[in-house]
Amino acid sequence: MTNSVSVALAVARKDLRSEWRTREIVPALAQFVVLALVIANFGFQIDARNAPAIAPGVLWLALVFAGLVAFGRAFAAEREQSSLEAMLMTPASPVAIFAGKAMAAAILLVGCEVVLLPALTLFFGTPLSLPIVAAVLLATIGMAALGCLFAAMVARVRARELLLPLLTLPLWIPFIVVGGQAVQVAMGAGGSYDQALALLIDFDILFVVLASLASRFVLDE
Amino acid sequence: MSILIADGLTQWFGHEVALESVDLTVDTGEHMAVLGENGSGKTTLLRILSTAARPTSGRLEIMGLDATRERRRLRHRIGYVAHAPGLYPALSATENLDFFCTLQGIGREQVADTLAFCGLSEMADRPAGQLSRGMQQRLAIARAVLHDPKLLVLDEPDASLGSDGADLLAAVMHKRTVILATHDHALANKLCQRTLVLKRGRSVGTATRLHIVK
Repeated sequence: MTNSVSVALAVARKDLRSEWRTREIVPALAQFVVLALVIANFGFQIDARNAPAIAPGVLWLALVFAGLVAFGRAFAAEREQSSLEAMLMTPASPVAIFAGKAMAAAILLVGCEVVLLPALTLFFGTPLSLPIVAAVLLATIGMAALGCLFAAMVARVRARELLLPLLTLPLWIPFIVVGGQAVQVAMGAGGSYDQALALLIDFDILFVVLASLASRFVLDE
Repeated sequence: MSILIADGLTQWFGHEVALESVDLTVDTGEHMAVLGENGSGKTTLLRILSTAARPTSGRLEIMGLDATRERRRLRHRIGYVAHAPGLYPALSATENLDFFCTLQGIGREQVADTLAFCGLSEMADRPAGQLSRGMQQRLAIARAVLHDPKLLVLDEPDASLGSDGADLLAAVMHKRTVILATHDHALANKLCQRTLVLKRGRSVGTATRLHIVK
């Protein structure tokens, strides 16, 4: 049996190397999140008082839609080039393959967040602090696990672009609610940051385990 | 000794039957061709025999193992060339094979030799997406034999191989049990000892070399 950790790392490295050479996803996502912030900046009457209340909502909206694109492409590209079957025809564990795909998709989304968070500070004048980065990164882990699971599930369906948000968004709500709360607190609103962060970690553990268990059945036709 | 025994393999897609009660026995070291018109069920049969798909019903035993239950245990003994090459276009030929070495759990020592064997040494560093269709097919064949499988399942591998394709296939098939789907009766006659003919998902019989009825 092949080593699951080396398989997961090889799959992630392969996806990141392909992205580095083709630059298909990250530049487009970065442009998308900046445009979303520009539109939100003009759409809302932003001032120093309401920025900390509005900015977290805009942040999570941009992140959710960027995530849907990033995770959707993770498996759609494999299906389009018929390479997923070639991977699954090896003795490698489907769970390890899934973990590698989710890891790479999460890193691509982090690449997009590297643009998103400073841009949020620039457009909304909100602080960019470690607690905000930590909350966003923690939410990214669980969102990647769920997003990639559903992306794998709908990859073989024709209406996958429509189905992916329908399936994924309801299950992302805990991350959006708790992550939004953590970012609001980090931006100066009242509430417990530690409690929100602990909840995010709980959700991460729960959904990473569930997605890993389910991925075996989703990938193993 | 039989390496593969299929009994009543049937595959339904919705209300359509793609394969109906196909029985098949393949002996160790035998080369068997699968012939049939488009839509006759060749790809469906080969996907099942390679363990890429599960049949709706029927029994499949490969190397003494139940192929529907022990798929992962069988996969390092089976090489499969599907209809589409299934390569990573941004990765070079070497990187494609390196990646599959990790997935197969084998060392990378044989990558250069396998590329040379398939006539791809000069293309080793070129991205797979920039290779011609024939070269991509050679790379897909290289990937299928990288782990030295005992059973090779080839779905129309000759489709874009070019004039010396038959020689490459003969070399790849040497000392292996092979099931080969093709439209080319002459190639089937040249490379295989026995032929299974499919029509609308049903087996219309097997024939030995030079006895194929068009």
